[in-house]
Amino acid sequence: METLTPAPQPKLSLRDVGKEFVLPRTGERTVALESVDLDVAPGEFLCIVGPSGCGKTTILNMIAGLTQPTSGAITIDGKAIDGPGAERGVVFQDYALFPWKTVRENIEFGPRYRIGSTMTRQERGERVRQLIDLVALNGAENKYPYELSGGMRQRCAFARALANEPDVLLMDEPFAALDAQTRVILQEELLRIWGEEDAEAGRRTVVFITHGIDEAVFLADRIVVMSSHPGRITEIKSVELPRPRKPEIRASAAFQELVEEIWQLIRHEAYAATIRA
Amino acid sequence: MSRVTGSPFIRAAVLPVTLLVVWQLTVMLHTPSPRTPLPTHVVEEAWKLIGSGDLPLALLQSFWRVLAGFAWAAAFGLIFGALMGTYRAIDRSLDPLIESFRSIAPIALLPLAILWFGTGTPAAAFIVGYAAFFPMIVNTIHGVKSVDPQLIRAARTLGVGRFTILRTVVLPGALPYIFVGARLALGVAWTSIIAAELAVGAKAGGGSTGGIGQMMFVFYAYSVDLNGIIVCMISVGLVALVIDRGLRRLENWMLPWKR
Amino acid sequence: MPARPQADRSGALAARFRSRIADIAVYLRTMIIFLLVWQGASMWIGNPILLPTPIDVAKSFAELAGSGELIDNTLASLWRLVLSFVLAAAVAIPLGFAMGLNRVVFDMIDPTVELLRPISGIAWIPLGLFILGIGDALPTAIMFYGAFFPLLINTITSVRSVDRSYVNAARTLGVGEATVLRQVIVPAALPGILVGARLAAGAGWMSMVAAELIGAPSGLGFAVEWYRELLMTPKVLAFIVLIGLMGYLFDRLLRAVQRSLTGWAEPRGA
Repeated sequence: METLTPAPQPKLSLRDVGKEFVLPRTGERTVALESVDLDVAPGEFLCIVGPSGCGKTTILNMIAGLTQPTSGAITIDGKAIDGPGAERGVVFQDYALFPWKTVRENIEFGPRYRIGSTMTRQERGERVRQLIDLVALNGAENKYPYELSGGMRQRCAFARALANEPDVLLMDEPFAALDAQTRVILQEELLRIWGEEDAEAGRRTVVFITHGIDEAVFLADRIVVMSSHPGRITEIKSVELPRPRKPEIRASAAFQELVEEIWQLIRHEAYAATIRA
Repeated sequence: MSRVTGSPFIRAAVLPVTLLVVWQLTVMLHTPSPRTPLPTHVVEEAWKLIGSGDLPLALLQSFWRVLAGFAWAAAFGLIFGALMGTYRAIDRSLDPLIESFRSIAPIALLPLAILWFGTGTPAAAFIVGYAAFFPMIVNTIHGVKSVDPQLIRAARTLGVGRFTILRTVVLPGALPYIFVGARLALGVAWTSIIAAELAVGAKAGGGSTGGIGQMMFVFYAYSVDLNGIIVCMISVGLVALVIDRGLRRLENWMLPWKR
Repeated sequence: MPARPQADRSGALAARFRSRIADIAVYLRTMIIFLLVWQGASMWIGNPILLPTPIDVAKSFAELAGSGELIDNTLASLWRLVLSFVLAAAVAIPLGFAMGLNRVVFDMIDPTVELLRPISGIAWIPLGLFILGIGDALPTAIMFYGAFFPLLINTITSVRSVDRSYVNAARTLGVGEATVLRQVIVPAALPGILVGARLAAGAGWMSMVAAELIGAPSGLGFAVEWYRELLMTPKVLAFIVLIGLMGYLFDRLLRAVQRSLTGWAEPRGA
């Protein structure tokens, strides 16, 4: 594993992290995660794939500070995580856009209300305008979430998370609810916004959870493959495809090989989970 | 879970017990007037009224009126509700009547009911039926309309006849709403019977109509027995609780597929 | 498509206008048939004390309006309605938030609420007559009581059922507890609370009319009973109509508030 850890000071670090749930009624214990060790380098795009119930979302929620691990430690820049913070932006699976706020108000939420925000009204307005340009929501600024299409909601949630200029972006199956075409387009958009074409130093750290193996291969620098019962890391794969990645790369042999390799790692469990459920 | 705040049972008991003790002590320390109600006297009075059979009889009488009124309301509510839920033309034509009449507080019709039916059971049952009708019909309409047309289409593709669809798809789909309607309807029916009996007593000068509301009125106007009134209030509350819980039980038993 | 939004909008407007006209026509048709049946029934019964004709009722309505009696009683009821409703909301909504957000507060207060709630406001009338006497206080207190529980219960339920994901989203954006409450929990709970407000208005209005009928020197409930004792049935009916109208208008008002405060909610139904 040492060879895969590229930078001396990782952005995020999970050390022997475990999570147990106790059912309040019966007192029954379920182990959701077991001894997870993981370092994420600054500016790295990391994808986590695995069958349902392998604890992908739990890892993300723990990094976000929404739940605490029952054992082990998680640090960001060497400091322990206790609770959510504006330096870690989250895009949720169901987007969790505030339905009572317009697109503009949703995006403005962090800069406007977060603790210790010093932005003036004008700066905020300017920032929101840039973000709306960035995610191409021009014209929809004053719409409510229910008036938006799935792809627009997704972009709005993305812009909302970016508005705080977080160092780390956590994304929980952000494209799962979209149709296949929209998904492909937004994957390319995501890489563009992440800064694929720029110098590596300017990129944010991204932890991206997905079901789609080809999505992970297309996006990631490294892919964490997980298995369930209990959730743990099976293998970590580096993706050596050149950046910036063009759509044609999906047809390349290297791409297909990697997809197939990862599929072989999880297919037994995926079958078992599907048929048992 | 913390020991400091105590178990839920203790937390639950703190407020009612404090209120009762404060009530008892203030009355005992300040105004020893024989009329002022005391928790201990209320218990004695309750014991007396139950023992003599007066309270159970009055409750039974009121409950009987509620059932009579509710039966009419349920029958009309279900029939018209089903029709209005199914046929749009009927719905459109009758909806204005329902919208206009449902905002008339049922008790406001009591004077009219007394004119029409006198001060006996029919007047009270009329008020109860009127009160129960609207929750019943509104929820039935809603229930029938809420049945997913996709389910009806699915049943038709399975080659099932019209009546069978009604029995096996529409009715089960609408039943949860109908139960909500019935619970609301019996709730307001029970409330209005108290109001009707009280008002009949207050305005028609007593009479032999009976019922729990009447009993309260007698305690109020003739024997000036506040302990008795409080006993009546508590039993009114208990019956309401029993009606509500009973219907919930029935609903869980009849609709096991609903969670 | 983008070339003709103007035409689309005016077309939609015209369509909506036409369907509105159609609705009114259906409404009028129904009510006219109803009035004709009523007229026929009262002519057939032939006893204006039992069932006066709608024309008689309309005449008494005009007469009562002219004498100012109608306005006085309506204002008396309206004042009590607004006062008790505002008081009930002012107590029940904050309490509901406290109970919905804090487990200990809930455990302490909920059992007492569940003990009192089944005792309807109307059952309090005799005791209330003793304590408060005949006057403004009794109907106001009874309506307060009637409106209190639907408001409280709906507030608690709405606060508790606020989708956790909104709260989580706000927290990951780095905001504090107070902002989560103000900007997330309050707006998310608002639709449920407004539903509670409409239920409360209905329940409270019903108990208030009962209280006025039994123990008030003025108000619509009082007037209905007053004219029954005088056997002036047309006036009884005129006031009954007014009671229905007031209940209806108050509900309309609350619906308008509902619409304007929750315009962000996805429109449901047709």
